[in-house]
Amino acid sequence: MQVEPGQRVRIRVKVNGVYYEDEVEPRKLLVDFLRENLNLTGTKIGCDTSTCGACTVLLNGKSVKSCTVLAVQADGKEITTIEGLSSDSKLSPVQQAFKDNFALQCGFCTAGMIVQAHYILSEKREMTEEEVRDMIHGNICRCTGYQNIVNAILDASRRMRA
Amino acid sequence: MYPAQVGYYRPDSVEEALDFLDSNEGKVLAGGQSLIPMLKLRILKPKYLVDIGDLKELSFIREGEVASIGATTRHSELASRKVPGLEIVQETASKVGDIQVRNMGTVGGSLGNADPSADYPALFTALDATMVIRSKKGTREVKAGDFFKGAFTTALEPSDILEQIKVPTYKGYRQAYRKVVRRAGDFALVGLALLLKMEAGEVKDVRISFTGVGERPHRPLEAENALKDTKLTDGDVSRAMELAVKGVNPPSDSRGSSSYRREVMKRLLKNTLEEMRGAS
Repeated sequence: MQVEPGQRVRIRVKVNGVYYEDEVEPRKLLVDFLRENLNLTGTKIGCDTSTCGACTVLLNGKSVKSCTVLAVQADGKEITTIEGLSSDSKLSPVQQAFKDNFALQCGFCTAGMIVQAHYILSEKREMTEEEVRDMIHGNICRCTGYQNIVNAILDASRRMRA
Repeated sequence: MYPAQVGYYRPDSVEEALDFLDSNEGKVLAGGQSLIPMLKLRILKPKYLVDIGDLKELSFIREGEVASIGATTRHSELASRKVPGLEIVQETASKVGDIQVRNMGTVGGSLGNADPSADYPALFTALDATMVIRSKKGTREVKAGDFFKGAFTTALEPSDILEQIKVPTYKGYRQAYRKVVRRAGDFALVGLALLLKMEAGEVKDVRISFTGVGERPHRPLEAENALKDTKLTDGDVSRAMELAVKGVNPPSDSRGSSSYRREVMKRLLKNTLEEMRGAS
């Protein structure tokens, strides 16, 4: 595949189980593709410097910062965003645990935080508080002080094991 | 933030990538965790990105007397794999950036970027690794000690691709990668890769390499030599601490002053040596 500067290229991705095709410039970032081309605005742009994790999505099942991935890099791959975690009107165990534990205030970091929580729980079902804190250190929250977020993830881990 | 307009080429093999780089002005894109931020800041404006991130032939971990690691192996893959005699590689990889960065970023990308505070340059310098570099002209090997030329500068030419890293194994060595950061996820203020072989209570071999203390990884050979054949007494450790910072002039910035970094170097070395001494 070769694309000249300024030209667009057709990419195909599977997002939350649905195939999408669209034309993008190679410089288009994955987060902008999700938000602008697919109208999936649940994924947020926070720092836009791959620090804060608000833009976290799953790419082929692995969490990545979509502000630091080009849409062309995701071509042919599978993406899960916050919109893909709940089914119908039922919240996922992680989402429910965030709600029950008041694990958000302004909510801007929440989508990325929940996607990351899903990822770490898919990697390791049982975690200590210290492990949870280490595994979400790529996600910054400026409101909560993290306590309720950590509580929610530990709670979700208990629920998912029950 | 958007990168400047850029072309894109996705080859199906290293050979194709080398052909393209030979006749076009391109920048090699692996995971993009260093490159994309620089494109967004428009520090770099290449004509083409040559995306080798998904080339399977470059993603591997092979064990052996001399192990080899493919350049586009993700940090997360290195972090989840224990290679006998190279436990320090797993430890270092698991401390790079954060989980999201480790899922996307590659070992070769980090080495090619050669950030003076990155973790791998110090690691592979301590391990005396060899970089295997390919271009249209052929394949050449460059020792880690010669690979890092300065801050963000390596032996790689624009039309080169780092193919793999060959790493001798260190069975029977105590191994540790330690770093001090101001905040979780930061680049290292100072990082230390340390390998120590003890026999009958004496130091048989030791390898020390620091990151974050200069433009290139710093391997204090004088400190290593001073530790050899000692019993690693408190006096031996103190001498090594002084020799480790001799002639080093670390940078001063918002994260720490030069003199503070020198203190951190000494403390990291002391604590890690004492830890290893205790773990007989």
